[in-house]
Amino acid sequence: MEALSGLALAVALAGLGLWAMVTRRNIVWKLLGLNVASGGSILFLVALSHRPGARPAIRGLGPGPAVDPLPQALVLTAIVIHFATLALALALVIILTEHRHTQDAKRLEEEQ
Amino acid sequence: MRWALTFGLLGLTGLLGLGIFEIWPRPCFPDPDEIALAWGVENSVAAIVLGQRLWDTILEVLVYVLAMVGVRFFLAGLRWQTKLPPVAETPFFRRSADLLFGPILVFAIYVAASGHIGPGGGFPAGVIVGSGLLLLALAKGTEQLAAELYEPKLEGLEYAAVLATLVLGALVLIFGLRSATAFVAGNILIALEVAIGAWAVLHRFAAARGEV
Amino acid sequence: MTTVVLSALAFGLALFALTQRRLLWGVLGVGAHSLALAGLYLSLSAPDVALTEAAVGFGLVTMIYLLAIRRTGKLVVAACPIYPLLYQEGDRIAGLEWEILEGFARWCHLDLEVLWVSRQEIFELLRAGEAHLGAGGFLPNSESRVRFTRPILPTKLVHVRCQDGPAGVVAGEPGEALVPHPIVAYEDAEELAQALDRGEVGQAVVDLLRYREWQLKRAIPDASFTVLPEERWYSFAVAPGEEELWASLEKFLEELQARGELGELVRRYLG
Repeated sequence: MEALSGLALAVALAGLGLWAMVTRRNIVWKLLGLNVASGGSILFLVALSHRPGARPAIRGLGPGPAVDPLPQALVLTAIVIHFATLALALALVIILTEHRHTQDAKRLEEEQ
Repeated sequence: MRWALTFGLLGLTGLLGLGIFEIWPRPCFPDPDEIALAWGVENSVAAIVLGQRLWDTILEVLVYVLAMVGVRFFLAGLRWQTKLPPVAETPFFRRSADLLFGPILVFAIYVAASGHIGPGGGFPAGVIVGSGLLLLALAKGTEQLAAELYEPKLEGLEYAAVLATLVLGALVLIFGLRSATAFVAGNILIALEVAIGAWAVLHRFAAARGEV
Repeated sequence: MTTVVLSALAFGLALFALTQRRLLWGVLGVGAHSLALAGLYLSLSAPDVALTEAAVGFGLVTMIYLLAIRRTGKLVVAACPIYPLLYQEGDRIAGLEWEILEGFARWCHLDLEVLWVSRQEIFELLRAGEAHLGAGGFLPNSESRVRFTRPILPTKLVHVRCQDGPAGVVAGEPGEALVPHPIVAYEDAEELAQALDRGEVGQAVVDLLRYREWQLKRAIPDASFTVLPEERWYSFAVAPGEEELWASLEKFLEELQARGELGELVRRYLG
């Protein structure tokens, strides 16, 4: 039940982020859409790892089934790497604004 | 056409979610507690990140450092043209930022050092130190903070931490070292270089766009 | 139960953030959304992921977005490129309005940043508060929400006739009221020129400098043109909330005119 709502939200967020990336013309809005969509994909992996009535995957926390730790381990480093990639993308946006004086995707494509 | 493709792909992804109803057969996964026992720690997620999938973690640390080198390279020459007037701040804010940085640092060291017996680990700890440095930069100004932190030596420290992580990874992967001390050392090294990388991003962005 | 509530909250915040007009609200909305997402991870029994997502998504990501889109201490000018007034050659910007704006920015101790946008988007940016000034051969229209400074340069409108067909104007310029319907509105003077070239429209109303630019670049086929006798003036547009910016720009332009530098600039650029 909980995993199902998490899964539905993940697909909805991915769709929302994709829509924002396609519709908006400013590239910083596109990066925001990418942020939301990647949050959706991370949530997808974490929701897949949930078992009904589970406890966190730490050894001393009592009886009962534990969650699947593998997707969580994959996702843990991915969040920090996503921040690093976002920093590089924003540095490129800053340089682009300095040189081409525009943040509009269509205008960036057509000149030169 | 674009919309049809988009929704088609999203629908296919959603089909994967049927796995939680156990429609797709699942590979037999060993009990998570056994993994933790096999590596001598108690947090299964940390056991996977720094134990079973150590190779992935090392490469991701390298990707992080590469992104930070890229940010330093691209924003190296950009400077603000006119100087911004200094923001009038109260001594209360400055003093409380100084006082708060201590507990933030201690909390981050705790999260890093106890990553193998509780939630946390190297990555959140480094990010927490980065946020603490952001607090200090808001209070004092980035240039002054950079002068106080001996900025040119920090870059060398980051690369040294990455090298130490590589050496530790070689010890664990090739020679089969399996103690909890390796976990603690790995967590602290990762926290150090994530924190220095986040500080480098903050410093370059603030220098290229005026003060924070 | 907590999961469902947090999911709804996270989705609502993401929807709010991505449909905003101002970038500032979008960034803050995405920051709040990632905090709600961190709470969701906690209710799905993933404490490491929750801790990392809360620290990264709320602290550092919001910080670098705010630093990248920051415009404090900068004078942001939204403009359309037009040849002798404000244009980009190679890596730098030059022109008559550029010199005025540069002098003004130096006088105010601000950094100048020029963004090339389409004519209609100038109004949207000014109203949303993301740009301070509008420039680039700007003819005042009857838009009531945007303030205009004193006029800088006189000009006239030109009615161009290539062939029979509908009339085209650049959206937002005052030519819209002067041509018979049907009217096709374009975003940019360049698109209008291309449409004239392709034959989609038969007539157009633009101002004198743009027509001269088209003729210099031979962007349209041979046409007959009539110069409408009414005199119009170029000026700058100021965003609606910025009272002191408008007052200081007025004072600066007044001083320029009093010292005669304005006339000298006009002579140098327009001959």
